Amino acid sequence: MTSTFTDPPGGVPAVTAGPAVMAEGVSKVYGSGDAAVHALRGVSVGFAKGAFTAIMGPSGSGKSTLMHCLAGLDTVTSGRIVLGDAEITGMGDRQLTMLRRDRVGFVFQAFNLLPTLTAEQNILLPLELAGRKPDRAWFGQVVDVLGLRDRLRHRPSELSGGQQQRVACARAIVARPEVIFADEPTGNLDSRAGAEVLGFLRASVREMGQTIVLVTHDPVAASYADRVVFLRDGEIVSEIVQPTPEAVLDRLKGLGA
Amino acid sequence: MLRTTLAGLRAHKLRLLLTAVAITLGVGFISGTFVLTDTMDKGVAKTFARSADKVDFAVLPDDDTEKGLSASTLNQVRTVPGVTDVHGMVKGDAALVGKDGKAAGDFPTVGMSVPSGRLLRYDFDTGRPPSGGGETVLDTELAKREGYTVGDTVTVLDGKNRSHSFGVVGLVDFGIDQEASFRGAVGFDPATAKAMTGETTYEEIDVAGGNRAAMEAAVKAGGGDAGAAPSGRVYSGAELGTKLAKSAGADTKIIRTGLLIFGLVAMLVSALVIYNTFSILIAQRMREMALLRCVGATRRQIFGGVLVESAVVGLVGSLLGLAAGVGLGAGALVGIRQLDANLAMTGPSGTSLAPRTILIGLAVGVIVTVVSALLPARAATRVAPVAALRSELEPGSGRFRLGVPRTVISVLLGIAGLVIGALGSIAMPKGQAAMFVVALAGGVFFLAVIAAMPALVRPLGRFAGAVPARLGGVPGRLAVANAQRAPRRTATTTIALTVGVGLMSLFAVIAASGKATATHKLAEQFPVEFQIRTQDFQGTVPRALAGTLRDRPEVADVIEMHRQETKSAGKGKDITTITASALGTIVRPEMTEGTLDAAQKPGTAMVDADTAKAPGLAMGKTVQVKTAHGTVPVKITAVYAPGTGLDGIVVPESDFIRYFGARDPTAIYVKTHDDVLASDARRAVEGAAQPYPAAKVISSAEFKESMTKAVDMMLMIFGGLLGLAIVIALFGIANTLTLSVVERTRESALLRALGLTKRQLRRMLSVEALVMAVIGALTGVVLGVAFGWAATNAMASDSVFSLPYLQVVAFVVLAGLAGTAAAVMPARRAARTSIVESLSHD
Repeated sequence: MTSTFTDPPGGVPAVTAGPAVMAEGVSKVYGSGDAAVHALRGVSVGFAKGAFTAIMGPSGSGKSTLMHCLAGLDTVTSGRIVLGDAEITGMGDRQLTMLRRDRVGFVFQAFNLLPTLTAEQNILLPLELAGRKPDRAWFGQVVDVLGLRDRLRHRPSELSGGQQQRVACARAIVARPEVIFADEPTGNLDSRAGAEVLGFLRASVREMGQTIVLVTHDPVAASYADRVVFLRDGEIVSEIVQPTPEAVLDRLKGLGA
Repeated sequence: MLRTTLAGLRAHKLRLLLTAVAITLGVGFISGTFVLTDTMDKGVAKTFARSADKVDFAVLPDDDTEKGLSASTLNQVRTVPGVTDVHGMVKGDAALVGKDGKAAGDFPTVGMSVPSGRLLRYDFDTGRPPSGGGETVLDTELAKREGYTVGDTVTVLDGKNRSHSFGVVGLVDFGIDQEASFRGAVGFDPATAKAMTGETTYEEIDVAGGNRAAMEAAVKAGGGDAGAAPSGRVYSGAELGTKLAKSAGADTKIIRTGLLIFGLVAMLVSALVIYNTFSILIAQRMREMALLRCVGATRRQIFGGVLVESAVVGLVGSLLGLAAGVGLGAGALVGIRQLDANLAMTGPSGTSLAPRTILIGLAVGVIVTVVSALLPARAATRVAPVAALRSELEPGSGRFRLGVPRTVISVLLGIAGLVIGALGSIAMPKGQAAMFVVALAGGVFFLAVIAAMPALVRPLGRFAGAVPARLGGVPGRLAVANAQRAPRRTATTTIALTVGVGLMSLFAVIAASGKATATHKLAEQFPVEFQIRTQDFQGTVPRALAGTLRDRPEVADVIEMHRQETKSAGKGKDITTITASALGTIVRPEMTEGTLDAAQKPGTAMVDADTAKAPGLAMGKTVQVKTAHGTVPVKITAVYAPGTGLDGIVVPESDFIRYFGARDPTAIYVKTHDDVLASDARRAVEGAAQPYPAAKVISSAEFKESMTKAVDMMLMIFGGLLGLAIVIALFGIANTLTLSVVERTRESALLRALGLTKRQLRRMLSVEALVMAVIGALTGVVLGVAFGWAATNAMASDSVFSLPYLQVVAFVVLAGLAGTAAAVMPARRAARTSIVESLSHD
């Protein structure tokens, strides 16, 4: 499965300087008073369009919280989040839902798929929720690239873990969102299946200009990204461009993880 | 282990409450029934005791006779030494004439003797007891209804329907006499009462003073008059009170039994709901169970733990139910008092919560809960300890296959149900026995449906969900899929609703068919607009009235029905006849043997099919009929099917006159011209009948209307009582949904992350509930209609099936709406849950 995406509809967008999504001085506090937990402390970071960025950090560093805030799943305590041309901080639940439906894609660590739907129905779910007609040619291409053609009629319980994650990737890619957020997508997979999933994600960035933000604690997974941002105790502490697993591991050690 | 169980319950109060609600409602209804009937009994007993207190002794006819006590018994009792006062109670018909000049009410009012002095047992609201032939007292309710009060002059008809005038001197509460309070009563002094009612015997003899032994001797000596009871029994005042209360208690017993049957239906539904709730809870807590097994709990301990949990739930539910029952009983009492002022006699004695009620309520609640939890508890013991370490599969999901035993059982039961049903509705002779067989068939077939339901959920769900899946967009489609994903769970949830809706539609079909049958018979076989008869069906209306009616231009036909009680074939039989010209033209009985013409020849008769079964009265036999001029032979030349207004032995009109002479008819039927307005026709007929107060005019339209109203009222009461079972089933849907929502927290979060709005999420759950409710209601409606048809068939040979399709459709629609309402709470809960928390929680 080395075939990659060719001829994405609309062509490969040029990588421009403007970020696809960015955080400006974002803080997130859970609870109040003595019990207050500062998950994020004034994080400012941008994620370039057409780039594959990884967010890394030890447990409790706030990497998942940052992703949730960037994706409009969670609200921030202060600061602002801008996704494309829209400031999402201050949006109501309905607006946020529409934003996620139309402009954001997700791949989670587990429980990505609805057990009652077939693989095909799962892949097309966001489009249907948005009332958009799927582009059958593009759908076919994504399915072929991910090797899911003969699995389309299967339900999640009839798929392996790797296949399930590939279905989740297909779902994210088919809708062509502005940003795909992937939260530990390989956390539950063996290394081979994990490598496949990460390879697809990187291919979608390289060949069709997809923007991906990956949250992971695995240095190997992070090395697939163009850039790695490190978080500790709710603050961005450093970053690496064009990372290798070794470099990432070294940096993590430096953070005391 | 016990501590773990109790801690678990405390930690999940909502879960506990949800489960307990079903039990609370069922137990509330049952204990409410007891509270209501006990309170009624107590009030009745108190009233009777107070009333019976006023007599020292009472003589009543023996229980096994309908006849009253003789005048000589009264005289004997009067002579007993020490007796200071005696009242022979007279009771018979004495119809009060209303302000419209017609006998008041649907039944003639009761004429009663009202003594003055110490033996007066009735409470006077105003005025005084009557004395002499010109005074009367009226039942207070009757007076209010008819607009009479003290000082008015009223007309009362005697036993021969002659009018007499009386001055009203008092208003009385005849409350302790049930017949009097039901029909209304007029009271006279004892002598006048005898004259007015034409009664020659006494219902009861009340005595002041005297002693028991002498009294018993006197009663023995006085018995044996012709037409009177051969003997009587002496009761003391206290004994009389107990006896009266007991016979009145029989009525409350009927009410109690009736209500308890509905209570049982409710408990059955509760059992289904509890079974389902526990099954889901156990499935969701597999990990918890496995962990307990890991740390050393034995299977027995797990089993016991679940049972203890169910017992606690049952106890809590039953206690709440008892409290609800007391409130329910008290509320029902207030309602009944407002509807029927006669029950006000029970007085504000406070509700009665007997120890028996508490015991039964708690026992029923706890036992039903524990028994319903047995199967889930057994399932809990099958959890392998290692399951604690595995990530679990979704409980109850996956394709459901009926196992071989289950398939065999459901097929066998289904065939048995159909065969028994066919036997009852088609093969067996019509009547009550056949209807019981159909009921049995319904029960058996329902068991088959219970067994097969998990397999039926998918096809039914696809059917019920066809519209919402198409119109509801993605949430609609997901909801329909969700409703089918755990077939066992959905099956039990929906079956609970099937019980209530099924019985509802069964009653609706039987009621509609009953109405249709009656209307059909009236229209087909007896198409007249009015009938004129006396209130008690026994008396006669004047011949002259028939003549007057025949002269009216509005009237097309007048049919007279004559009846003579006589001895034929040695037995007391009524000989009847009907105006000759009407037979075969307006009155068209269906002949089962012979022809109508054959039975019109002199010296012949026709009998109805039931009478023909008696020996000596079959087709072709000759009966000896006692007439005014000796015994004559009458040959039975035809048999007719019942249901034409004719009954018994019908002879030709000319023969009847020959046998018995010209007599007043027992009923007159009037057919008016088709082009006459209904209101004009009515005025004409009523005008003609005006001079005869005893002759009541009843229009067929009115009769039909009142019958329809009575049937509808009955249906409404049944519906109200079954409503409880339906409400419990709806709680079951809410329960299942709440637990499913908990189970699908992450799934809902995923959907929300992918762009499902809160409203869509809520709609998704509403549609799921709708689909479940419609599955249950559809199954119920199909079963109810099918067995309603079978029951209608079994009822009588000439019954007409009628499908109240509007009602049936309304049941399904209402069930669907109610199901959506049941989803409101779980849906709100699901929509409120934070996406991020749900995604991260494991």
